[in-house]
Amino acid sequence: MRQQIESVIVYLCTALLIAAFVTRLVTRGGPYFARPQTIVDHVGPGKHETRDALVLLPKVEKLIPRGAEVTCFRPIEGTANADDTANFYTAVGQLPRQQVQPPFTAMLTVPTGSLVEYVVAVGGPFDHPAYRVIAEFPEGRLYKVER
Amino acid sequence: MKDVIFVVAIIALTGFGLVLWRIPFLEKLDRWAQYAIAFAGGCVIAAVMMFVFSLVHIAWTRGTLLIPLVLFAVLRRGRGFASPEKSGSSAAALQTVFWLTVIGVLTARETCGDLLYFWGPKGQAFYTAEGIDTKFLSFQHYSLMHPDYPPLLPLVYAWGAAMAHRFSWWGALFLTPIALLATLLAFRGITRNTRYTALLAALLGFGFAKGMVAGAGEPLLLLFETIALALLTFHGDDDGALLLAAIALAGAAWVKVEGAAFVAVVVFAYAVTRRRIVRPLLVAAPAAVLFLAWLLFAKHYHLIDQYGRAGQTAHFELLGGVLRDTAKTASYGTFYLPWLSVLAPLPFLRNFRRAALPLLTAGGLFAAVLFFYLHQPDPGFWIASSAERVLLSPLMALLVATAAASE
Repeated sequence: MRQQIESVIVYLCTALLIAAFVTRLVTRGGPYFARPQTIVDHVGPGKHETRDALVLLPKVEKLIPRGAEVTCFRPIEGTANADDTANFYTAVGQLPRQQVQPPFTAMLTVPTGSLVEYVVAVGGPFDHPAYRVIAEFPEGRLYKVER
Repeated sequence: MKDVIFVVAIIALTGFGLVLWRIPFLEKLDRWAQYAIAFAGGCVIAAVMMFVFSLVHIAWTRGTLLIPLVLFAVLRRGRGFASPEKSGSSAAALQTVFWLTVIGVLTARETCGDLLYFWGPKGQAFYTAEGIDTKFLSFQHYSLMHPDYPPLLPLVYAWGAAMAHRFSWWGALFLTPIALLATLLAFRGITRNTRYTALLAALLGFGFAKGMVAGAGEPLLLLFETIALALLTFHGDDDGALLLAAIALAGAAWVKVEGAAFVAVVVFAYAVTRRRIVRPLLVAAPAAVLFLAWLLFAKHYHLIDQYGRAGQTAHFELLGGVLRDTAKTASYGTFYLPWLSVLAPLPFLRNFRRAALPLLTAGGLFAAVLFFYLHQPDPGFWIASSAERVLLSPLMALLVATAAASE
């Protein structure tokens, strides 16, 4: 009798946990059986902070020479966002053939000669006078420094 | 195609672990459990080999990595195996959870941010450098990637990338259902308890999805922890089982910082419950050797970061807040269903003596989690971002305890 009660409890809990598991997957939003574009497409109810970078970086990768120094951030009012660790570290993983530098290397306070060569600006434009746009995509732009 | 090669290459790590089939104890397990343990052992053996290759400057190529794999596979010794425990409902639960996890991972519903921010970049950098890239790890602006974090997971990723000639982000995610399946098959074989295997499947499947662990260290950590704890609990007097537990503990210590805490807790619990000293120390020895080897390596290349914070002061004045926030997060948004599930069968069980080791381990792991949070100046952030993941270890230990008491 004891063993039967134990079995019922164990299988009931198993069923409840599986139901909670399914609910969790469903609440991440559809489509449910299509391959997503990025590995963060359904991690939360809203858009993940790195999704645009994950779409943009493979596109700009072909335009940046191997070994070139590059940074990546989502500009704030047209300037480099030094605290944008998420897009910076995402770029480290997505641009393995380039040398990814932190966003502060493209700030206005940096002397022109020391500015990072390429900037991947996610989302809005980057308004640094030393940079010009060399490619534009729906998710952002690629800039190159003019020395 | 390269994604598939990446995944197949990681599964092929099982070849290294086939050498473990020489241990007579494995005859007591069914064939699936033998493969699952070979996969776990293979990850450890391959990681140690790649670490040694890096130390002696042997570049990781398909040739240098595959030749040892073949040699290890040849060294295996085919032994008998036990017939698996049969239960239709348990097998159905296991398969349901596995395929749900596959769907969850391949539709990007369980991705851990840490894969993007450091596990993946490290694996990729190691693959590109054909060795442990100390220049990458020591680059000051990458310090938030935790340069001294244990290397096993990036080494496994680098292995897959070396075989596919490209790092695969989707392949890295797919390690989660592979590790989950190995955990369940190993647990079923070791405990020969299909009911609690079904419960473990549901617990970890849900926990992985809610805690968002895909691509991070937890799936492998739980694999090593479950094997070690189940072996010590159910076969703690068998020398072969102790050897396998020691290898699993070494794997845990090399996956995550929390793995070292797990080793300390479980070895202490084993010593207390068995009232022995030498055996627990021997079980802990491989983990201690690997842990120290990595620490010395990190110190030599000036990578010390997380381990350098061991002397931080505890903020005991935050204890109330830490307990409150941890308890809140521990509900997993389901009114504590995971905890209730592993504790509900307890009143109907008998063999509490056998459950002492995993119960003590669960308590120790919970204390270790609180201890970590109390050493953070801003514990709220850490609890919110990690509690659902790190509490999976004490939950697993409680389930092992319930399964043990059920006998």
